Amino acid sequence: MSASQSAVRSRAEAVKVSRTFDWLILFTLFFVVLGGYHIHYMLTGGDWDFWTDWKDRRLWVTVAPIVSITFPAAVQACLWWRYRLPFGAVVCVLGLLLGEWINRYLNFWGWTYFPVNFCFPSNLVPGAILLDVVLLMSNSFVATAVVGGLTYGLIFYPGNWPIIAPLHVPVEYNGMMMTIADLQGYHYVRTGTPEYIRMVEKGTLRTFGKDVAPVSAFFSGFVSILIYFLWHFFGKWFASTKFVESV
Amino acid sequence: MAVTTESVKADTAEAPLLNVRNLILGSLLYIVFYGWVRWYEGVYGWSAGLDSFAPEFETYWMNFLYIEFVLEVSTAGILWGYIWKTRDRKVMSITPREELRRHMTHWTWLVMYAWAIYYGASYFTEQDGTWHQTIVRDTDFTPSHIIEFYLSYPIYIITGGACFLYAKTRLPTYQQGLHMQYLVATVGPFMILPNVGLNEWGHTFWFMEELFVAPLHYGFVFFGWAALGLLGVVNTEVGAISKLLKKDLA
Repeated sequence: MSASQSAVRSRAEAVKVSRTFDWLILFTLFFVVLGGYHIHYMLTGGDWDFWTDWKDRRLWVTVAPIVSITFPAAVQACLWWRYRLPFGAVVCVLGLLLGEWINRYLNFWGWTYFPVNFCFPSNLVPGAILLDVVLLMSNSFVATAVVGGLTYGLIFYPGNWPIIAPLHVPVEYNGMMMTIADLQGYHYVRTGTPEYIRMVEKGTLRTFGKDVAPVSAFFSGFVSILIYFLWHFFGKWFASTKFVESV
Repeated sequence: MAVTTESVKADTAEAPLLNVRNLILGSLLYIVFYGWVRWYEGVYGWSAGLDSFAPEFETYWMNFLYIEFVLEVSTAGILWGYIWKTRDRKVMSITPREELRRHMTHWTWLVMYAWAIYYGASYFTEQDGTWHQTIVRDTDFTPSHIIEFYLSYPIYIITGGACFLYAKTRLPTYQQGLHMQYLVATVGPFMILPNVGLNEWGHTFWFMEELFVAPLHYGFVFFGWAALGLLGVVNTEVGAISKLLKKDLA
């Protein structure tokens, strides 16, 4: 083999080049997935994620897991099935959280002056870990969809409970019963935004106790299973390497 | 001995496989530029960006918009034109080492695309949420839109186009046709810009309350999914690079 036929000059150089590509690929994948996942999540579940007075026991618990299981399912479909890398869901969620935290601090607080304890993002990490662990242990996307998808929905509220609990304490204000989070919403007026409590204060689910969060989480887990299946196939399609003749 | 000396000389004179300087300078270009943009928003958003009928709005925001339009069209024309004009007409006959070097350069471009997508789809898009939920809009060209829609989106379109053109004109891997997922990853996010037309039309027509999850915004979501086309590009690249390195790693 002549020198001109080889891309590298030694095994050591081949290893070095391979590692360099690993870092370039991981960096690019992380930030591109961050961008795509973030624009998807902020426009399908964003309002529930932006403000504590939207982080209730009913719709937040229902919506956030359903719309956030999408990209993890798609990226798992590529990273696990092609490379046996068991961190597709976690890498997506860490990317999303990085994008969100930078934004909440530099823009929500830094530009429009909402305190961070009013606009911090939801915690999706426990569900992502479970999704990756189920895939790693089972090596089955059906098991990951059914078991992982359900637990992804169920774990969301408990995973956020330590953060949100102090803001869900009931308080009486001007003769009305509400949560501390609702009170934050009244005090930090968002001029262009409808009052969330006006939109959702109906039916019996948005009450202070009993079955609201578990029922919502269970429903969310059910839909998350279906969404996982759908996005697994999306992921496989996006991971294809087909060429076309013309467009 | 003489031959060996010549060979060593050739090796040291040869360009490095990865030009780290370009990688760092390119990244700094995005980070420093967008740092300056964020500073500009912070200073002139509140002081000159609240009333679109005020003269200072014209000075600090509409002029910013006109200047960025001109610069973006010029940059796209010059950059894409340069990459196309200097294309390799004998791309299938390059040496494996040169091919490897070009894959490294290609990934330098893709790292720039990652920065551009991050700032466009994540940083400035969610920032738009807090601005419009806080400030009542009276124009389509609000301070956050002038940055988000008409600066950060064109920049990632220009960067994505440059990545695709570089791959198509210099890498043998991409000569067998058009890579479908590469098209998805660059054309899909590009479509977010025309979708601004729908967005602005809707906002003007309904003058709606600022719900970020409003169905009017779902066009952005759909085209945002296209970023996942990068998975197909990664798979193609891993295959191509493995072929170049496999025998040396075995």
